Amino acid sequence: MYPFDAIVYLQRDDHYKRSDLEQRAQIDAMSINDTKDKVLKIPDRSDYLRDQRRSGQEIMGVLPALYPRELLWAFNILPAEIWDPPGEILLANVHLQASICPIVKRGLEFILKSPEIINSGYLFPHTCDSLQNLGTQVKDLIGVPVPVYTFYNPKGEFNKASKRYYSEILFNLQKTLEKSHGLLSQNQLKAACELGHKIDIRRQMLHAALMEDRFDLSNREYFQLIRAAEYMQGQDYLDLLNHVEINEQIGVAPRARLLVTGILPPGDDILNFLDESRVRIVSEDLLSGSRRIPIVEMDQPDDPMEYLVERFFLLPPCSTKAGGLDKRLQYLKKLIAKSRCHGVLFNTVKFCEPELFDQHFLIKSMKVMGLPVLNLETELQPGLSGQEKTRIEAFLEMLDEGVPV
Amino acid sequence: MADLFFGGIDVGSLSTEAVIINSEEQVLAEVVLITGVNGSEAAQKALNQALELAELAQSQIAALTSTGYGRASVPFATGKTTEISCHGVGAHHLFPSTGTVIDVGGQDSKVIQIDDRGHMLDFSMNDKCAAGTGRFLEVMADRLELELDELSNPAYITGPSTPISSTCTVFAESEVISLLAKDTPREQIVNGLQRSIVNRIWSMVVSIGIHGEVTITGGVAKNQGLIKVLEEKLGQKLNVPKNPQTVGALGAALIAKRHHSDSTST
Ligand SMILES: Nc1ncnc2c1ncn2[C@@H]1O[C@H](COP(=O)(O)OP(=O)(O)OP(=O)(O)O)[C@@H](O)[C@H]1O
Ligand code: SF4
Ligand SMILES: [Mg+2]
Repeated sequence: MYPFDAIVYLQRDDHYKRSDLEQRAQIDAMSINDTKDKVLKIPDRSDYLRDQRRSGQEIMGVLPALYPRELLWAFNILPAEIWDPPGEILLANVHLQASICPIVKRGLEFILKSPEIINSGYLFPHTCDSLQNLGTQVKDLIGVPVPVYTFYNPKGEFNKASKRYYSEILFNLQKTLEKSHGLLSQNQLKAACELGHKIDIRRQMLHAALMEDRFDLSNREYFQLIRAAEYMQGQDYLDLLNHVEINEQIGVAPRARLLVTGILPPGDDILNFLDESRVRIVSEDLLSGSRRIPIVEMDQPDDPMEYLVERFFLLPPCSTKAGGLDKRLQYLKKLIAKSRCHGVLFNTVKFCEPELFDQHFLIKSMKVMGLPVLNLETELQPGLSGQEKTRIEAFLEMLDEGVPV
Repeated sequence: MADLFFGGIDVGSLSTEAVIINSEEQVLAEVVLITGVNGSEAAQKALNQALELAELAQSQIAALTSTGYGRASVPFATGKTTEISCHGVGAHHLFPSTGTVIDVGGQDSKVIQIDDRGHMLDFSMNDKCAAGTGRFLEVMADRLELELDELSNPAYITGPSTPISSTCTVFAESEVISLLAKDTPREQIVNGLQRSIVNRIWSMVVSIGIHGEVTITGGVAKNQGLIKVLEEKLGQKLNVPKNPQTVGALGAALIAKRHHSDSTST
């Protein structure tokens, strides 16, 4: 049994089980050493999905953020997550008000173009009211040539009722998918959970290594790697993760260490700029990133459904789950301490209602702790404006003055 | 030993300033020019004029820091620092008890919290749009057919005021057009505009908090009407430098001096 009381994990001395993770890292390193080459080859999202589609793979478009990927894998459906497809927003503006976040706008723009890649339907998890409304619009008002599924994640604190509710919605989604895909065997689901479990462990290990400066990836490469989970097959992704070398030695001290929190990582141009400025993102609390991996190492899946339920409630505190602001702050404090960061970067998606609700309190609390905070608001547009550059540079100058040597 | 000289160049979105100081940190020359389309040319021109005033040759400048929007386009700079740090250092030099600096320039406005050494502790900066910046006032002055000096008249602030509800420059301009069409007196509109821009700056001040004395820098500090409204709102007097536009360049020159002594002492 896991420490379901959310307080418990905050009192553990370690985020993930370090000794276990290290042991596993060594075993993994031994078993995959010969296949490892130094350059990390992360497949391009569009190319990868097009290849998958060409080979006859079923692909489902999944909107952010929390959904049972293992269940989709078990049905041999590849989830292709839709966060920030590039390009201009034209068609979506007809349907949405101006003050809707760019993730929802870009998501709808993508859907309205009826992309050929998506042949298995769309899944709308209930992440926020905007996405829930979008799901309703796409299903009932706009209409698309593929099925539309919704998945209403439980909100608030974990308790018996929410656990029961989550089991029910998982079961309902399974039943719905069985209508079009045939009965799901327990073995298939178990195998998918085992794969997910391996990925989780590797991800936890990499996050722990990131906090300890134990690999050579640039900021940009690190987040490319994390984001490849949004479109790769589980096994391919696990292979990719296994290719990342974790160093025994701690790397060269950067100019500054930052923790980034928010929905998505900063754009490539900002990450490149941080790389050039010798700034290292040493921990992340992103909805698209570590908020989707459990906070403790879970046991091997035995009963797959039970495993999936437990996994959901072991995910870190998140604004989109409305699980209590103080818990989120405590959790962030833990990441701050563990990663020994000098400052926190809030990478805020414009008009993101759940995040903005928490933000003021979190920023204020961090400033009270004496921790410098930079709030960058993004509309997910590419590039780095002069103003953004000035803000980041000024923040770094501020850290230069105050970073204890 | 020959005296050492240091330079600071602030290439802003509207104006470019050059300041030269000596090793006693006394200002020997300061120059303000329009930036125009070519930042690096403006920087060179401003430096040349400052050198002439100080009766120095460029080779006599031991170190020079560039700052401002165009800080990267000053090829002869020995270092570059953001205008946020520079305004903090410059304001601290002029008014050592400063805890909060408000820099309102042509395109950006910033509120900076500094410690008793002039080091930045926190800052806030306006987002992309020109609301709450000098550009907003320029657009409105044009529309009202007033010179900036007239628009800045503090006498307007004491009279009646017509509230301007939009902070967005484009919307506020349409509001002004319709007010003019209704024959609303210009001074009443000006009063409303000054209050609207102060509200915008105020929200940044609140996010950082007011610490110690407040010093205002940047070209908008020349706007006496705005200073008056801001002082009312703050409930305290503002420190207003004699030449608010050159505070960033002064800070840059002081930083150049610091870096130079750091590099020669190691
Ligand atoms: N005599 C004056 N009276 C009133 N306002 C003035 C006067 N001169 C300049 N300003 C204001 O100062 C603004 C320019 O300020 P400043 O020179 O500090 O800008 P900048 O440094 O080029 O811009 P930024 O810092 O945004 O890049 C103008 O937009 C104008 O509103
Ligand atoms: S960015 Fe925020 S508002 Fe937008 S979809 Fe994500 S959670 Fe919802
Ligand atoms: Mg300026």
